Amino acid sequence: MNETTSEAINLTIDGVEVTVPKGTTVLQAAERAGVVVPHYCYHPGIPSRPAQCRMCLVEIEGQPKLQPSCVLSATDGMSILTQSDTAKEARRSVIEFLLLNHPIDCPICDAAGQCMLQDYAFETHQLESRSHEAKLVLGRDRIADDILYFADRCILCTRCVRFMRDVAGDEALLVAQRGHKAYIDTFPGKDLENEFRGNIVDVCPVGALVHEDFLFKPRSWDMDSAPSVCPGCSNGCNIDIAVKENQIVRVKPRYNADVNGFWMCDHGRKHLVMANRGSRIDLPLIRRHGELEAVHWGEALEWLSTNLPEGGSGHAVVSAFDATESLAAVRALLGRIGIEGGGYRLSRGHEAELGGFPQLKLRAERAPNAAGAELFGFGETDGLPEVSDGDTLVVVGDRLADAPADYGEGAGFFLYIGSHLSDAARNATAILPATTFAEMEGTFVNHEGRVQRFHQALVPPGVARPTWMILRRLLGLGHGEVTMLEARDAFAVAASESGRLAGLNWDEVGLKGVNPGGTAAPVAK
Amino acid sequence: MPGSVKVVVRPEASASYVRAISTGLGITLKHMVKPKKQTQQYPDEKWDLSRRLRGTHRMATHEDGRAKCVGCGLCPTVCPVNCIKLIPAEDENGERYAAVYEIDEFRCIFCGFCQEVCPVEAIHLGVHYENAEYSRERWVYDLERLTEFEHPFTALWDPFDPASE
Repeated sequence: MNETTSEAINLTIDGVEVTVPKGTTVLQAAERAGVVVPHYCYHPGIPSRPAQCRMCLVEIEGQPKLQPSCVLSATDGMSILTQSDTAKEARRSVIEFLLLNHPIDCPICDAAGQCMLQDYAFETHQLESRSHEAKLVLGRDRIADDILYFADRCILCTRCVRFMRDVAGDEALLVAQRGHKAYIDTFPGKDLENEFRGNIVDVCPVGALVHEDFLFKPRSWDMDSAPSVCPGCSNGCNIDIAVKENQIVRVKPRYNADVNGFWMCDHGRKHLVMANRGSRIDLPLIRRHGELEAVHWGEALEWLSTNLPEGGSGHAVVSAFDATESLAAVRALLGRIGIEGGGYRLSRGHEAELGGFPQLKLRAERAPNAAGAELFGFGETDGLPEVSDGDTLVVVGDRLADAPADYGEGAGFFLYIGSHLSDAARNATAILPATTFAEMEGTFVNHEGRVQRFHQALVPPGVARPTWMILRRLLGLGHGEVTMLEARDAFAVAASESGRLAGLNWDEVGLKGVNPGGTAAPVAK
Repeated sequence: MPGSVKVVVRPEASASYVRAISTGLGITLKHMVKPKKQTQQYPDEKWDLSRRLRGTHRMATHEDGRAKCVGCGLCPTVCPVNCIKLIPAEDENGERYAAVYEIDEFRCIFCGFCQEVCPVEAIHLGVHYENAEYSRERWVYDLERLTEFEHPFTALWDPFDPASE
């Protein structure tokens, strides 16, 4: 919209002097000055700016009329007042108009606590309506398979319409009717089936659009949130995982200009909310006298370090869902017991691209860390390796959900480290409980080689531990007893063991991630 | 330092016990003639309770017997002792309702915040205090029990009528 150039201009906003490049809007300049200008229709990720909500009106000193700051270019020497009586009165009136037919059903609205209308209505202190007319009731509509539209709550900012048109490039939504009867609807005969439609719920500043997975579930103040990375595909979108009572209840995109902008795809959202199903392993199990027996960690690791065969033929299966630190630890373990190679399986699906933000793509490789596995010498394999009698088999992370029930039965030694107990995993000689990515800290390497950290969102079941913690402990037994408790240390070791990550610092990776090889270094296809 | 004792000489009228004894005997005589009962024959006789007494919870219902609760989650949020458990869900009309609503009366401190915060005047404290159970589990009142009660709702304190007159 507004092309910024290198030429700098100075302006004053509420007495704060700020220098911005020419072409910046007043609203963006205010953000830089630390002044909050309320707004609804403006969204930094959506290019079009209709300036129709009239919420961001500000007073320019020396001019009689207020101007919408989202489209007003900052000019040199401008003096903006956002808290003057006229500006405040304008905002108050806008809110009053918006609340005319708004049901104010905050107690049962899923956006309560994260609603811009609620915030500003409270701020302008309009707790009672002056209107004597009955409120207009428009009802609700299922706007997509999984998205509900509450027309009464809608303030017609048209962010959703413009997201679909400008960013997704799929003009599926429109504003139907006019004036006070206007509402959002899909085009006649057209369904909202876009792969990125979940984002319209995120851009909605009120509770008009609600995702069905989140409908009438937790209140926003009941949830904890952890920054993470989406494991749905190799794009590595930055996300926030919202958790209530140790269950993932919602996933929202986290802004990262280099990876996913403000957006993420619906595959990622669904994938994660369903992630915690299935029977989990919560205790170490070792096979003694033909029976699996639950033991404590110390005993399991001692037993493994004496019984794990070294040398001889062996196979290793890892998972592209595991953290880089874990994959490095697996490689170190395989080196100790003399197994070369090893591979991971990768499922592939269709691709989908977000037109307005081409870096974000639902990639065909449906795993977050295939590139990380490649860094440690694991290659993609089509199926599981054939296990001959007496071979050593190490399976880490792969759920073996589709493996035949007798897979690995003939192996001389079968070590299984994973989170879920499938039929094939029950044939193992030793089963160690590992966490899923949401229950640990670590890093993923995405399709372009970008290293991104994720934080712990959930508490693991039982005594499950991250794979890197288990393996580094096992490797340390009898070799100087290295105990590694922090992902920071595991990352440092992993980085030193791989050529490409060498020299990377845990803090440097931070929340936004870094690409050590520059942009053009795709490691895995 | 040698101490000195001050001897107070009271007038005869105030030093005598006669007046105090006769006053006491006078009260005794009055009760003999017109006795005033102090002992209440509870439980045959019940107290007159203030309509603002904060006792056992009660859930208000619609005419068809459904609980008025919309499952908004404000009472578990405001409850200072976390004695309310609520799991909201969607009913057949697509509205929000409380699929599970339990109050642990044993843990409750009867502060009345839940009644004050409820946006639809569903949960109330009640003018009722006689509760007894055989087990602690039974003190967790579910929605069914809360709607079955018939005792009067507690009246909230009215700032314009602070003495409830």
